[in-house]
Amino acid sequence: MNRLRNAFLAPAWVVFTLLFFAPLAVIAAYSLATRGTYGGVSAPASLESWVRLADPLYLVILLRSFALAGVATFICLLLGFPLALFIARAGARRNLYLQLVIVPFWTSFLVRTYAWMFLLRETGLVNSALMALGLTREPLPLLYNNGAVILGLVYGYLPFMVLPLYATLERMDRALLEAAADLGARSWSALWRVVIPLSAPGIRAGSVLVFIPCLGAYLTPDLMGGGKTIMIGNLVQNQFTTARDWPFGSALSLALMVIVMVLLMALVRRGGEEGML
Amino acid sequence: MKRRAFLVALPALASCARSRRPRLNVFNWSNYVAPGTVPNFEAESGAQVRYAIYESNEEMLARVMSGNSGWDVVFPSNYLVSPLREMGLLSRLRREWIPNLSNLDPRFRAPDWDPQLDWSAPYMWGACGILYSRRLTPAPARWADLWDQRLSGRVTMLDDPGEVLGACLQKLGHPINSTDPAQLRAAGREAIAQKRLLRAYLNAEVRDQVVAGDVLAAQMWATTAQQAIDVSSNLAFAFPAEGFSLYADNAVVLRESKRPELAHRFIDYLLGPRAGADIVLASRTATTNRAAQALLPDAVRNSPTLYPSPEVLRRGEWFRALPPAAQRLRDRLWTEIKSA
Repeated sequence: MNRLRNAFLAPAWVVFTLLFFAPLAVIAAYSLATRGTYGGVSAPASLESWVRLADPLYLVILLRSFALAGVATFICLLLGFPLALFIARAGARRNLYLQLVIVPFWTSFLVRTYAWMFLLRETGLVNSALMALGLTREPLPLLYNNGAVILGLVYGYLPFMVLPLYATLERMDRALLEAAADLGARSWSALWRVVIPLSAPGIRAGSVLVFIPCLGAYLTPDLMGGGKTIMIGNLVQNQFTTARDWPFGSALSLALMVIVMVLLMALVRRGGEEGML
Repeated sequence: MKRRAFLVALPALASCARSRRPRLNVFNWSNYVAPGTVPNFEAESGAQVRYAIYESNEEMLARVMSGNSGWDVVFPSNYLVSPLREMGLLSRLRREWIPNLSNLDPRFRAPDWDPQLDWSAPYMWGACGILYSRRLTPAPARWADLWDQRLSGRVTMLDDPGEVLGACLQKLGHPINSTDPAQLRAAGREAIAQKRLLRAYLNAEVRDQVVAGDVLAAQMWATTAQQAIDVSSNLAFAFPAEGFSLYADNAVVLRESKRPELAHRFIDYLLGPRAGADIVLASRTATTNRAAQALLPDAVRNSPTLYPSPEVLRRGEWFRALPPAAQRLRDRLWTEIKSA
């Protein structure tokens, strides 16, 4: 029985080793090397890249990334929860609505980001409409700021919040709500004291699925932020391109991974036996 | 359905395997050949060309540095020719295989970075200056004009550390390739002071916004500026009074190439008058090929944006490879600017 289990797990192990552990080992080795003048790495081994991580300049960028990703995740939760609740109770139309949530994935994220840029620019649809309605006289600076970056992140990752929330809300026992009503809870307090606590695993899972990719985002800050906001993902990218400092880029991305893993483990522990997903 | 597609593809695969045509691998910048360039060379030489494009020197470097990349011909910028040579990645050019080198503009027959053209054949070149709307009065003529309060929110700089720090250095009267930490730090402060006026750091994608009038002035490469000016007569290009940067992209044959003769033949083909002229007409880039230039319509040949006068060119500075310490300080300053 055990041998059978191992046989079935073997392909997964092979894939994991080749495509995850091996590249990870390469990155770890790079992070301990010296920067090659024109990219790449060279001898001797050094801890310099790791020491540089403590530079306040990079800590500020890390904190900013956490703040932007945190705000984006919170907005996703505010928008995603009512939507997931609505879909979970939509009866026969449920599948249609779920499809609609996923439809944006049919187009490349890059193309969709450019579409947003066309909407938000000064001569774009949003500003033209506001001015035509007489609501604003001058075009608003909607693009190339932190607000635009957060909008881009929320738009891009909202489905990752909605789907796990839907999964928990859909499984929720309706009888519990009836019981709450019998015990005198109005709909708001039933929501606060029954629905939300019971959907905690979905909230946790959705938040993790949104927060982690937001933290490492580099396309959105680059395009929607017009290169004026730098997040940790852009910093890593720069090390491998213009800065040609592969060891530091490797150290940065490993550090980010460690931070994310520590956070995840803390969450899993808090989640306890309910499980994550 | 899938199976049918496979069956249709099968004969094509077989014919691929059967073809004994020599294959040349060319890795070039995007928008650097005409639609007909590669097919015409294939027809003329009987060779088969695998052609791919890159968007930055770093992207190309990362691939060819292994010395086993599978490419035969690549197009590094001028400041990378010496480093590539020092890393032993280049093969010495056989000039007898490139008779069309004589078509080069005299300016490019003995360039700083490779005075004997032993390793590289200059291909395209360009400058960086200010693309602006004629509605702006007075018209910007110096880098310092891009620090003007009136432009707040309507001005952009390139998303490129070399160009932004270069413009700041020139504004302060320092050389573009400065390695002096004090000069570099002062340039970094200039960039941070300018940042609150900036709409964004944008490369070629700003073109449409300048044409639309959203952006009134932009630090821009001459090639991209020319494309914008072709679309809108309301735009003009200035070569800043303090000086400006120059770059040239050069065809080189990699040492790893297994078909050096064919590689040389391709470079010779690019430097031919007709092929060169077609490339310029398609890409709107400034060519090093004087024989090709002679075949161009007057408007293209005499464009003051692509081919500034010798007096203007005297203010230009070529980018050079920098020592690691200076490069590192520049990277840090760039992160500081972006994070400010």
